[in-house]
Amino acid sequence: MSFSNQVLVIGAGIAGMEASLMLAKSGKKVFLVEKLSLIGGNVIKNEESFPNLECSTCMVAPIQQAVLQDPNIETMTLSTVEKIDGDVGHFEVSVLKKARYASMTDCIGCGMCYEPCPVSLSNEWEENLGEKKAIYVPTAGSLPNVPAIEAEHCLQLSGKKECNACVEACMFGAIDLSETDEQMQLEVGAILLATGSDLFDVSQLTQFGYGKYPSVYTSIEFERLFASNGPTLGEIKIRNSDRQPKAVAMIHCVGREEQGYCSGVCCMVSLKHAHFLKHKLGDVKLFNLYTDFCVPDKTHQKFQKNIIEETQSIFHTSMKDIKVTEADSVLNVAYIDAKGKEASLNVDMVILAPAIIPGKDTEVLSRIAGIETTEIGFLGLKSGGLSTVETAREGVFLAGCAEGPKDVQSSVTQAESAVGGMLARLSSLTS
Amino acid sequence: MDKPNQNEFKPKIVGFLCNWCTYAAADLAGSSKMEIDSALTVIRVMCSSRVDPNLILTIYFNGADGILIAGCHPGDCHYGKGNYFTRRRYAQMKQVFETLNLDPGRLQLSWISAAEGNRYAEVVNAFTEKITALGPNPINQSSLF
Amino acid sequence: MKKKVGIYICQCGPNIADNVDIDKIIESVSAFNDADDLEIVAKPYGLLCSGEGKDYLKQEIEENGLTHLVIGACSPRDHNNTFIGVCKETSLNPYLYKLINIREHCAWIIHDKDKATEKAIQYIRGGLRRVLYQSELFENKLDTNPDVLVIGGGIAGIEAALSLADADRQVFLIEKTDRLGGKAATFKTVLPKQQDAVEAIQLKIQTVQDHPHIQVMLNTRLDRIIGFLGNFEAEVRSIDDAEKMTELKIGAMVVASGFSLYDASTHPDFIFSGDDEVYTALQIEQMIAEKNQVTTRSGKAPKSVAMIHCVGREEVGYCSQICCNAMIKLAARFKTQSPDTTVKVFFRDLCLPHQDDQAFYNEIKAQGVEFVRVNRIATEGSQIKFTTMDENEGSELFDMVVLAPAMIPADGTPDLATKLGISLHETGFFQEAHQAINPVATATDGIFIVGTAHGPRGIQATLLQAQAAASKIRVQLIPGEQIVPEVRVSETLEAFCMGCKTCLEVCHYGAIVFDEDKGISVVKEAVCRGCGNCVGSCPSGAIQLKHFTNPQLYQEMIEAVQ
Repeated sequence: MSFSNQVLVIGAGIAGMEASLMLAKSGKKVFLVEKLSLIGGNVIKNEESFPNLECSTCMVAPIQQAVLQDPNIETMTLSTVEKIDGDVGHFEVSVLKKARYASMTDCIGCGMCYEPCPVSLSNEWEENLGEKKAIYVPTAGSLPNVPAIEAEHCLQLSGKKECNACVEACMFGAIDLSETDEQMQLEVGAILLATGSDLFDVSQLTQFGYGKYPSVYTSIEFERLFASNGPTLGEIKIRNSDRQPKAVAMIHCVGREEQGYCSGVCCMVSLKHAHFLKHKLGDVKLFNLYTDFCVPDKTHQKFQKNIIEETQSIFHTSMKDIKVTEADSVLNVAYIDAKGKEASLNVDMVILAPAIIPGKDTEVLSRIAGIETTEIGFLGLKSGGLSTVETAREGVFLAGCAEGPKDVQSSVTQAESAVGGMLARLSSLTS
Repeated sequence: MDKPNQNEFKPKIVGFLCNWCTYAAADLAGSSKMEIDSALTVIRVMCSSRVDPNLILTIYFNGADGILIAGCHPGDCHYGKGNYFTRRRYAQMKQVFETLNLDPGRLQLSWISAAEGNRYAEVVNAFTEKITALGPNPINQSSLF
Repeated sequence: MKKKVGIYICQCGPNIADNVDIDKIIESVSAFNDADDLEIVAKPYGLLCSGEGKDYLKQEIEENGLTHLVIGACSPRDHNNTFIGVCKETSLNPYLYKLINIREHCAWIIHDKDKATEKAIQYIRGGLRRVLYQSELFENKLDTNPDVLVIGGGIAGIEAALSLADADRQVFLIEKTDRLGGKAATFKTVLPKQQDAVEAIQLKIQTVQDHPHIQVMLNTRLDRIIGFLGNFEAEVRSIDDAEKMTELKIGAMVVASGFSLYDASTHPDFIFSGDDEVYTALQIEQMIAEKNQVTTRSGKAPKSVAMIHCVGREEVGYCSQICCNAMIKLAARFKTQSPDTTVKVFFRDLCLPHQDDQAFYNEIKAQGVEFVRVNRIATEGSQIKFTTMDENEGSELFDMVVLAPAMIPADGTPDLATKLGISLHETGFFQEAHQAINPVATATDGIFIVGTAHGPRGIQATLLQAQAAASKIRVQLIPGEQIVPEVRVSETLEAFCMGCKTCLEVCHYGAIVFDEDKGISVVKEAVCRGCGNCVGSCPSGAIQLKHFTNPQLYQEMIEAVQ
């Protein structure tokens, strides 16, 4: 007997959610495994997405709601896949479901439990620009709107001190500190890996001053700084100060040389940030330092032109010649200009656009899934032919940035394609 | 209930919120427990483009002191281009108000995305303040009729 | 008939109960009890969305014989579907229920309890008034036809047809020329990894021709379509024999009509004639496919080649995405043919957006291909003049010049868009339903756009889109299953419609058609999404949106001003 009526999707970003909804609509029971406490992936960290400058929450929240409300989708948050045995049609998957300590059925998401929690932590989801409690939702509007507790920081759970503050604050009896991690076994016919990507660690490249100078940001940090549901409610203020930036340099392609590829989306992200700054602050000088503009879609060049016109911020250079230094809270960005001459800019904020790199769990996952990674380290498609979503392990498929850097459109397309691949593979088992 | 006296004028505002963006922003403002003036009554519509001039005039002549229409930012419409039509109709309604010698300031169109709970609270509170300053809808002052 | 309205106020634990006085709400709405017409059953409950709460509601609806239901609780975004589900398990039509959000709109944002209570009472009374004006709506199930028409026999159309036929859908594949394969079938190699794609593509073409579920119709074009997702009728006509028309019944369509190339000879900066050694990349590609080598018109191998990127890019207004890679691929081919060939690539920005691209570029650069970044470039025959980024001017003569013209929409694209009733993007390619989250669908359910008809892209991305469209069709149209269209849709009131057709103009989905006999607009309910834009546009009040009618909204809002 095969388990062809059940499928596993790993990663609840835009690709995983789209695939899950389609698989569910086709009648499959979907297990959607997500390592974080919320679904939505990286897209929801963006206030607006390019090229239409569309509110990402407005775009994605209906999809998140649909996933959570679909009776055919079992969303497993705070969960990781540990083992995949068997073959196509007969996979046996071990999943570690970490304790949330709050009941998904009883909690109504009122948020009464955070305030009394005495433990404040840096909020990683907010790129450490804000704080959270040991019982938290990563950001306002998180879905599912149910908190989770970080056991290692919770006074009670870590055994540091007796504390029952959140339990007492909850009027629904939804918090259960005795909950334990659960080991689950799933039987599925096919598997989709949609685990997304990470960003290049820019602190490796000391010439950009990241980590050394507080006013040097990564693009994703800036995204949260700008977000109206972010830690500053969208107020753009330089780290550790009350100042708004008056001049900002956006440096493209950080880590491109080191990684050996163009990530395909960062130019658009940097242009978008130029627009955000101009739009919100008005009187701000902007500098986009780039080598090659990569704007590969029917919509992108117009976006580029409009923003160049709006911000007058385009400066051609070679990335390896850039050096950022700071004196008296002023950042100096030295570079070689288009004519090959040394030049420099004085700014009070720098935003680096890091390369998209394989997610940090990719290697482990590739071992668990029994598939190869590409030379670069992303999850690898089956080699030869014209494969688009199949891996070398039959019944295991890829979608989204786990397979390589891509934008939302391409991630969604690949997810939709993978659904067809999975359905075809499963129906060939039953017929 | 007592008739509100002139000094403690409490405006009555009707707000048409689009389901996908502004209504979601109102939810976010709610779950963030932001304080919002009670003057506004929210009417949920699927798209701001559903709000036809008929509804606006009807509620105005029935005594609404202010009317807010709020939807997705231009370019964001869940239904393609609905909010562009809203914008055009709003501009027309402003003219209608002027023609009828009504105060077009009592009508406001705002774009508020689903992530902008904060902005929702600001817009509603600012509009409420503005309408409070304008005073009651003259329709409600029987002396005019 | 006497109406019996149940009004249930959810305490939502302390969330509502602590911040509004629920007893006062109950007391206030109970005052509407009218011995003759209206009976109110008003009660508080702990948590209505819980399992017990839902059971309680079901029991209340049945035991009290409720004709209408108002729930005062949280946001409809959280639990409207929950309570619709409850109604569906009872005898109460779910459209005779209304959820009033007194949590996000009162309890949580009005910090003065008296004011919050007053506001909640007003909202609930509005809900009561509204629900009495609501009407029953019934879901209408429609049979569907899972068969598919694919327009265009290039690689995109072939892939879509194969994906669908393998899923047991009957596919009609129409192609306007006399052969399948499109432009990709002429390539010797494809990016990104230089696989020998000719074989793979030829195999696909053969499979399509032999497939029992695919009917290939060459020299055929689309004439007209009518219908909607699951139930389209299409007329296709032979290009050779105008008399030969075939009517197809299908459930969905995939548009894969391909691309053309920008005509470089119309560009003022590129002056050349048919005798000059100036070629497009596609011509070189075809030359390689035909004779496996590249020669000048005199039959000699070129010793120096200039490759010029982005021809027409400024004019068309977008980057064609694949030309940089295609040109690098050809540069490599020149070097393979003869390592001594001087190959100079003139470009402004290199667009290498896939993970394998740059490694390939680095490899080719290492083989001695020279890359020159230019601000301006012009040709006269094979004489090239250019200005580099640092404003140095140069002039050089080459044996051969290869141009990479922009990809543009295929001829006949606007005509096809009109026939299909779908929109074009400002670049002239077809417009997708949503750039990011619904990229292969169009505003018309059941019509999909894939490949280079959608916009410039390479073979890999084209295959992905074709597969994606096939997946979507596979999921939306399941043989033997019915579809349930939205019921909260617009309807025209015949007596009021004056036939101005304004609503036809504003509808994003083509859901309104004009009945020429009656001279009125008619809403295709299966297509309408229920946004209500047509209602807002109708100058004579002749369209209403079910469940959001003016009388319903009036009842809801009038309470606010009383």
